[in-house]
Amino acid sequence: MNRLTQHLLLVLLGGVVLRVSLGQGYLAYVQAGFRPLLVAAGAVVLAVGLVGVLRTRPGADDAHPGPRVAWLLLAPVAVLLVVAPGPLGAWTAERQAAPVAAPRSGTPLGIGADDPGESHRTLTLSGYAVRTQQSDTSPLAGRDIRLVGFLSPREGGGWYLTRIRIACCAADASAVRVVLDGEVAGRADQWVEVVGRYAPSLPHPTEGYPEPAITPDAVRPVPAPADGYED
Amino acid sequence: MRSEVQVTRSRVRPTDVLVVLLLAVVAARFLLPGAFDGPALRAWSTVFVAVCLQALPFLVLGVLLSAAIGTLVPPSFFARALPGRPALAVPVAGAAGLVLPGCECASVPVAGSLVRRGVAPAAALAFLLSAPAINPVVLVATAVAFPDDPEMVAARFVASLAVAVVMGWLWTAFGRGEWLRPPVRHEHAAGTGRAAAFLGAVQHDLVHAGGFLVVGGLTAATLQVVVPRAWLDAVADEPVLALLVLAALAVVLAICSEADAFVAAGLTSFSLSARLAFLVVGPAVDVKLVALQAGTFGTRFAVRFAPATFVVAVAAAALVGWWLL
Repeated sequence: MNRLTQHLLLVLLGGVVLRVSLGQGYLAYVQAGFRPLLVAAGAVVLAVGLVGVLRTRPGADDAHPGPRVAWLLLAPVAVLLVVAPGPLGAWTAERQAAPVAAPRSGTPLGIGADDPGESHRTLTLSGYAVRTQQSDTSPLAGRDIRLVGFLSPREGGGWYLTRIRIACCAADASAVRVVLDGEVAGRADQWVEVVGRYAPSLPHPTEGYPEPAITPDAVRPVPAPADGYED
Repeated sequence: MRSEVQVTRSRVRPTDVLVVLLLAVVAARFLLPGAFDGPALRAWSTVFVAVCLQALPFLVLGVLLSAAIGTLVPPSFFARALPGRPALAVPVAGAAGLVLPGCECASVPVAGSLVRRGVAPAAALAFLLSAPAINPVVLVATAVAFPDDPEMVAARFVASLAVAVVMGWLWTAFGRGEWLRPPVRHEHAAGTGRAAAFLGAVQHDLVHAGGFLVVGGLTAATLQVVVPRAWLDAVADEPVLALLVLAALAVVLAICSEADAFVAAGLTSFSLSARLAFLVVGPAVDVKLVALQAGTFGTRFAVRFAPATFVVAVAAAALVGWWLL
């Protein structure tokens, strides 16, 4: 590989990284707060490549072949341009689910007053899941609760309301799932808003650990949020 | 005559290959719109891109620092800053890992340029292992991820520093210079200044280390998609097996050291000692890191260093876990 090709690869990589990080695309891969670092890194790579392209004189140093492994820099560029993969969804949720840990605190966590002007309380999926696992679930009793997530199929039929959470990037994804204990029509990866009431946890169909559940009263399709990993 | 010979040989130029590959990418984009919709392929692509994107800023930081060390800092600085005897320089370099806030992708190029600048390899390797594991960002992330177990931070610090120092001393005792192959950097033609040398070093390292980062990303994404989480929870109750399995998991997942604490915190069915092994092994040995090490120091180095580090890291995690957790 000659110098010019190496520099062109850097230009491509830097350009694609900048494009992904200046738009909304990066939210499918990394934490929202990571954006400034990505923009800076993309800009440096692009600038280094551009300067290299401008300074390369034809036939100047083809005596020094570059590393062959550098061709692989084209792989992320190609995957981003051709597949343009979106956020992780139901397929990953099925493989990354784990039991919800019960909180250690003795006093049960409350859920606060209803949303302003509404007769329900909006909770994050993980916030709801944790509260269903504490020994005292009285804060949830008799309340209408609103949750937002996407549908993922449950073994043996039925649906989970699901969120994927990431700490840093999509490689560390973990899934939070709440069983929709009732008849729900939908398809996997469809984002929905659920208003319902607390239901006792159900055993996992094969592993047996308790899975948080909710009895849905209203299930309404909603557009996917810009940051699908926020929860 | 000579020009004729060159014409008939008509080598394919790399730029031509690049153009053809790019055309293929564009064609695939428009001619095969439904071919990449399988959920497994899309999940694989997301994880692959995520690993590359997430590591890139740290790699760029490491490459810039490494180029600065290689071109702007005189070698005499390191001769004065580090004790002359490797046995003493190792712990000093290991402790110096406290000051490089970044993940493992940043420390490999920096360690490479330290070796080129005449720092004893044992000391540079101690720095390579300690910097991604004990820097303040990582320790704070660990404290945030384990709010109920503050001793986890101390355990991680002690175990990771111990791994770095022990590996440095092992290298002093048994390491051989010929295993190391610091990349030969062709110096720029005469008449170019420091700025050009700096730029040349950055270009060279970005292309080189970037390629190996992609190798690691491909491996990590594939293993993530192939290994389901349910396999893990099956072994959580066997103390020794659980520790070994989480250590192996840290190698194949290749999670950034600034995020691995959150993943470990989520592995609630495992003991704290097993999770400590995950945190100690991850920043020292993982598929992405081994690929980067092979690129920087050569394959002969990586095939010896990585398994040795794995064994030392598992032992350190088991001992410190038994002592502190």
